[in-house]
Parts: sequence; C-alpha cells; structure tokens
Amino acid sequence: MNKTVNQKAWFFVIPVFVLVAFNAIIPLMTVVNYAFQETFGNNVFMWEGTRWFKQIMLSERFHASLGRQFLFTFIILFIQIPLGIGIALTMPKEGIGVPVCLVLMSMPLLIPWNVVGAMWNIFALPDIGFLGHSLNALGFDYNFTQQIGDAWFTTILMDVWHWTSLVVLLSYAGLRSIQPAYYQAAEIDGASRWAIFTKIELPKMKKVLTIAILLRFMDSFMIYTEPFVLTGGGPGNATAFLSIDLVKMALGQFDLGPAAAMSLIYFFIVLLVCWVFYTLMMRNEEKS
Amino acid sequence: MMMFNILNAATWGDMAKKKEKGFFDFEFITWMAWTWQTAAFFIFIALCLTAMVIWEKKSPGGSPRKGILGLDTTRGDRLFISLLGSAFIHLFWLALVGSVLWIATIICIGYAVVVFKYV
Repeated sequence: MNKTVNQKAWFFVIPVFVLVAFNAIIPLMTVVNYAFQETFGNNVFMWEGTRWFKQIMLSERFHASLGRQFLFTFIILFIQIPLGIGIALTMPKEGIGVPVCLVLMSMPLLIPWNVVGAMWNIFALPDIGFLGHSLNALGFDYNFTQQIGDAWFTTILMDVWHWTSLVVLLSYAGLRSIQPAYYQAAEIDGASRWAIFTKIELPKMKKVLTIAILLRFMDSFMIYTEPFVLTGGGPGNATAFLSIDLVKMALGQFDLGPAAAMSLIYFFIVLLVCWVFYTLMMRNEEKS
Repeated sequence: MMMFNILNAATWGDMAKKKEKGFFDFEFITWMAWTWQTAAFFIFIALCLTAMVIWEKKSPGGSPRKGILGLDTTRGDRLFISLLGSAFIHLFWLALVGSVLWIATIICIGYAVVVFKYV
C-alpha cells in the first residue's frame, strides 16, 4: 500500500519542542554542567570532576533523606491506594449522589500545595489548632513541631487528605467503565461480593490503578511544598524529604555543585523506579 | 591557589573578567557553565539518538523481541536500559571503588552490548 509521504506536520511539533527545550532540556543540561563544577557565584566555575557524585553517594545525610523519602512514599501508597479503591466502591452509581460526591472529592485536589500546608499547619497547632488542641484535650501528648512521630503522622495525614481523592476519581472512572453484563453474569453464577471485586473489578481497574500508583508515586517522591510549609523538614531533619534536603543544600548552603549531583542521582532513581513499576504492570497486563 | 587568586580580585565584578576565556564563553550563556566534558557527553547522547533514527530507517519496526528478562523490548527500550544502567554502574563504581572511573565505562560498554544482544 502506498501512503502519501507528507512530513510538513513535523512543523507543528516545533512549538512543543521549543517549550520543552526551555523548561526541561536546557535546565537539565545546566544541572549536569553544575554537577561537575564548584562555584562561588558570579558565573565563575571550577572543574571538580566526579567529586560531588562520590560525595553524595557516600553521604549519610543523603542516605537518610532517601530512606525517609522511600518510607514516606510507601506509607502513603499503602494507605491511599486501598482507601481510594474502597471509597470508589462505596460511592453511589447513579442519582444526585454522583455529582455531589465527585465535587466533594475534587475539592482537596483544587487547593494549591502551599495552602494545604498552611491549612494543616494551623489545623494541627497544639495550642490553638482544632486537631492539635482536640488531641491534647483528649489526653494525647501531641506536638508536631517537636515530636518526630507526630510530625510524620501529621504529614502523612495531610497527604492522604490531599491526594486520596485522585485515586478515588481514577478508580471510580475505572469502575464505571465496567459493562453491566459482567455483574449480571456474576449474579447468575452466585458470586460473592469479594469474588466480584477480585475477579471483575480489580482486573478491570488495572490500567487506571497503574496510572494512579505511578502518579502518586512520582508526586509523593517529589513532594516539597506541603511538608515545607507544614514542618519545614523538622523537627531536626525528621521530615526533610529528598527535595527539601536538596533545596536546603542548593539555596540554603549555596552548594550548587553537590546539589546538582544530588538532583541527578534523584532523577535517576525516579527514572528507575518508574521504569520498574511500568514494566512490571505492563507485563502483568499481557499475561492477563 | 588559583581559587585564592580569584578571591583576591578587588570586587565580585572583576572576578568574571579575571577568568580566562573558556571553551564556550558567550556572555548570555555563561550561567550554563559549559565544559568540553559535559558538552562531549551531550553530543554522545545526541549521536546515540541520531544513530537510533538511522538504524530505524534501515530496519523499521524496532526489532521487538522477548529477552532473557522476559520483557518485551524494542531497540529504544534497550538503549534506555543501557543508558540508565550505565549511570548506576558509574555511580556505584564511584561509591564503592572511587577511582579509575574508566574501568566502569568499559564495564558499561560491555553491559550495553549484552543488553542489546540478549535483553
């Protein structure tokens, strides 16, 4: 079959290419350049070779913040994904309840990150905040600005509040796309609710769940604003996740070289984990 | 020593002038801090991509197959696995051995060949 060859459409790609060049490629190249040099500002750079990469790879501070980052990400995935599916399953399928639930669910997603952080900061303040004051009144010794466990608890609760809706909305979309015939067949077979969930709903939701897990993984792995506003990485370094630590290094200490090296390592880890996730899930997709 | 010479410059404004002309010394782009080493790295990446395009022209389809890891990969996937793997090999070499980095580079070339042949 002879297809007409017309390459003019490539010109339509140019605006996107320019945009990506300016917001991704040029900054990334600059980060690579900085990672091999030392600077005291004023565009004076001194070649350092691979020194910063070695320093970061052996740095206990980096290991600690990487560990905290993975712990945080796994905790919130572990909570948000099952919780999101659960809420999606209990949401109404028709009637006035549908738009009401959808709007209520979307609300947290529409609030800017720094506002979420500020809201939760005030909400959780031990002396005047509703959450903090109530917990203390109930007899819990709660103070997220001083106790590590409380800081983690508040950060995780905030992230669950902010982002579970995303999982809910995606799962709900997946659930709604299942043909009624599947449910009728299950009813005829006398399948239990659990069997319907594991044999019909979960496999049918696999694609949206893949996207939900990937999105939630990446967003939480790169989380910055909310914990920055809520705890500022404290108490001590207890909630200084990778990006908070990175910004401290780059802007607080003005160690641009090590910070650039760290951000590249960070980037490679994100690439690797996303690739592994994606490959595993696509492989299961083919099997089933 | 050179570092202190630069710091002895009278003002911060003089510092940039004291620096000798480098490989890529256009005023508007000095903030990007290009060096020939990093430029060579990006040229290498660009060449890789160009080579992949030419290869694809020669034998279209990306030669998909199921490799030893049980993954369905095309040529592009194999390039990605090779490059990302090489980054990690270099990083771990730096962390665990620390010097003679070119040995890591040789390992990476071997790794890339294995990936392109079997994965």
